Amino acid sequence: MQYEISLLTIMGISIIAALSLNLIVGFCGQISLGHAAFLGVGAYTSAMLTKAGVPFTAAVAASMLMAGIIGTVVGFTSLRVREDFLAITTMGVGFLFLGIVRKQDFLGGEMGIAMIPDPGLGKVGYLVLVLLLAATLALFSIYLKRSWMGFTFDAVADDEDTANLVGIDVSSYKLIAFAMGTAFAGLAGALYAHNIKFIDPESFGFVESITILSMVVIGGTGSVWGVTIAAGVLSIFPMWFQFIDDYKLLVYGGLLCMIMLFSPDGLSGIFGRFLNTIRGKNFNASGQ
Amino acid sequence: MLFFDLLVQGLLQGGIYALIAIGLTLVYGLLRILHVAHAGLYTLGGYIAILITNATGSFTLGITVSMVSVGFMGMVIYRLIYQPILEKPPFVALIASIGLFIAMEEIYRIVFGAYGITFADAPLQGTLNIAGIYLRHCEIGALLLAALLITSLSLFTRYSRIGIAWRATVTDPGMSQSFGVDVIKVRYLNFFIGSAMAAGAGSMVAVMNNLVEPTMGSVPSYKALAIIVLGGLGNVRGTVIAALIIGVAEAFGTIYLGNILDRDSIAFALLILVLMVKPTGLFSKG
Amino acid sequence: MNLKSMSKGLLFLALTSTFAVTATAAETIKIGINVPLTGFAASDGTSALNGAKLATEQVNSAGGINGKQLELVVYDDQASPKQSVPIATKLIEKDKVTVGISCSYSGATRAAAGIYQSAEVPYISAYAIHPDITRAGNYTFRTSFVGEVQGRAGAKLAGKILKKKRAVLITLNNDFGKSLVTGFREKAESYDVTIVNEYPYSIKDRQFGPIVAKVKADNPDVIYATGYFFTAGPLVSQLRAAGVKATIIGQEGFDTQTFIKIAGSASEGVIITTSLDRDSNSQESQEFIAQYEKMFNHKTDMVAASGHTAVKVAADAIKRAGSTDRSAVRDAIAKTDLTASTGTISFNSLGEVIKNVQVQIVKDGQFRHYAVISDPELLAPPVD
Repeated sequence: MQYEISLLTIMGISIIAALSLNLIVGFCGQISLGHAAFLGVGAYTSAMLTKAGVPFTAAVAASMLMAGIIGTVVGFTSLRVREDFLAITTMGVGFLFLGIVRKQDFLGGEMGIAMIPDPGLGKVGYLVLVLLLAATLALFSIYLKRSWMGFTFDAVADDEDTANLVGIDVSSYKLIAFAMGTAFAGLAGALYAHNIKFIDPESFGFVESITILSMVVIGGTGSVWGVTIAAGVLSIFPMWFQFIDDYKLLVYGGLLCMIMLFSPDGLSGIFGRFLNTIRGKNFNASGQ
Repeated sequence: MLFFDLLVQGLLQGGIYALIAIGLTLVYGLLRILHVAHAGLYTLGGYIAILITNATGSFTLGITVSMVSVGFMGMVIYRLIYQPILEKPPFVALIASIGLFIAMEEIYRIVFGAYGITFADAPLQGTLNIAGIYLRHCEIGALLLAALLITSLSLFTRYSRIGIAWRATVTDPGMSQSFGVDVIKVRYLNFFIGSAMAAGAGSMVAVMNNLVEPTMGSVPSYKALAIIVLGGLGNVRGTVIAALIIGVAEAFGTIYLGNILDRDSIAFALLILVLMVKPTGLFSKG
Repeated sequence: MNLKSMSKGLLFLALTSTFAVTATAAETIKIGINVPLTGFAASDGTSALNGAKLATEQVNSAGGINGKQLELVVYDDQASPKQSVPIATKLIEKDKVTVGISCSYSGATRAAAGIYQSAEVPYISAYAIHPDITRAGNYTFRTSFVGEVQGRAGAKLAGKILKKKRAVLITLNNDFGKSLVTGFREKAESYDVTIVNEYPYSIKDRQFGPIVAKVKADNPDVIYATGYFFTAGPLVSQLRAAGVKATIIGQEGFDTQTFIKIAGSASEGVIITTSLDRDSNSQESQEFIAQYEKMFNHKTDMVAASGHTAVKVAADAIKRAGSTDRSAVRDAIAKTDLTASTGTISFNSLGEVIKNVQVQIVKDGQFRHYAVISDPELLAPPVD
């Protein structure tokens, strides 16, 4: 069962990462291409603290705080630049973060940080923790979506200028979205660090950011359960497709492209249309 | 002495970046799409140049075939991938482009091998000594090619009928259509020119390195994005200047800031600084 | 609707293939391999795997091990720690391998090493150099040099053998480059070599114009350049084209014919520290070089030799242990004394390999023997 447990743990962590980005991209409409850097902040914070003797729970909490703070700072940039400019700026932040970490020996530099302490929960216990946290975040996201905050996020995502006109403090809401999204990313990062027990700058690079973003987009930006399923499936995609080893990256790229072409609103769109088709059929069947 | 050496190196790198970035900014200016797969065409340009040169012995033929065929490839990509999703939100095109780019890199690896390919007899390897600065013929060639293509583009858009129609379409598609401009043709032309220039860059880099690898485009894929944003999205002149600035910044930065930041970070740090001061880039669209 | 049912079918197929238990093959001894076959490290991965395949072929045609055939179970990890960990779990639990071999880079290897150690399954790192890999525990071994050891040898080569005084370091900015340079710096002074400057570069760089310009201004008599063939080739080419005459010292990353192909005539006279001696009298090395070229239609390189050696060490240990009991095999590996394509292999208490450093020079477009460094004190790998 070890293998299945390790797969499920990875799935759970990816779901948390994707849902955290969903808060920024899906709910508040701000494109972030550097999200993996915040996972990195969480991972490095937790790794350094636990290696210095800080207990697991405290270290994880600190990681979330650290990531959220840095995320808020980055959030300020989102107030300056819009849309495509924001996308590239966030990408730049990701590279900058890595570039700095690479050069700092106390953060492990190129060698990364190894022998990250085990939280002591055992494999199954850890899995349960991860899944519980993922479920909590999913429920929180759904709650948020239906709350007044979610409604405001929606307004900001839809049309910033009009939102501003009707009196919404757009800036604050953008910052809140960034703060929350990056804090949860920090959580995912910390969980990752204690799962794989080895981190290096390369694990949180641009490729990783794109991977998380594609989970959100394929799931259907904004859709909590869509993103959850997409994250779960895509995170262990390489393992699924071991039987076409040599072609799996090609299939992945092709899949991204195809899904965008044929169903740009992702899984939630597919399902939505499927439901409508059924309803439509029933409708007709009742003779109305 | 060293200063000029570094400056020349920076301009050379900047020139290459410019050739790649122009195509990207042209596409953005016209369609508001971040065409990440463009870097895949740059790589393809390198592959075709080496293959044709090795087969025929002529690099001139190699680079010409490369630019023309990749130009067409760019048009094909527009037709198959982007045209169907023009009305969708921006990240759809972005993710599709990224997926396409990943697929392209993989196809190159599967078809041409993971080790990459080299010239059987690399052309333009001789060196010229100009006042103590050594430049290889291929490097001079790259600079000349960049200058030639960029100037031609500038003249084309200013003085030819098609060029003017194109500029009009970029500025205001609706208006130009009402004046009878065939917007679809302009789009194809746009992709052709941008992709051909990228292939030119790829061919010159192939000669400079004597190596083309499947992942050759991964750095340009995101670096070019930074450059076109710095230059002001959609602004060709701005892009060229931004490319040169970044080339020079990297040249000096890797030597003097090498222990604090790595090369990619230098470009992005510069970008973020500029954007904080001027959120629409160095030059706005125009 | 078509897309939906297609994706449903695909989903089902993939689900079953992931969670299905691998059927036990008929009487083979399994060695698990994680290797990058796609992604940026694909070229090294392909080489290393080829070397491993050749070794397997050789072992099997000589009768196998204890009467059974050797089988490689290979998974692509894209040089990513995130993937090497579940792969390690799968190899240990589902494929029930006797020994694991990493043909991947340091990050992926280090992450997987922890899994192998806690499962008490022997794990051999073919060429990944991160020092923490063997520190994972007594079940981890490494058949290639630790970076520092090779770096120290490089210092002796520069100072004592080549009698150079002023060195410039052009360093690849990853664990490989950094650890080599650490070793070089450690011993440079004791061999009278002054390090004038160091210039780091990224694994993605191919244009070295600024660094070349600066090195020319520094005017060293030797350059200690770290990198892989795809960076070293362009670097050496550009250095020579700019008129830099200093001797260039490289390491195993240069050790492939493709390097010579890329740099062309600029590669003449480049000297490298490595483990593969093209002119070796050893039958092992000669056979390896010849058979590799025949089997894969491609000249061999250091990474392939590393993969080859790792499999040979594993096979030899399993034979001596007389069984596939993982603990017995581990003990057998620790007592290895084997002549392989990369020299005579034995391990110290940490699991690090103890062997001589071969020095090769590029002459007439081929790697040829130049010297051997066999100073046991200098080359002593770490013990903890």
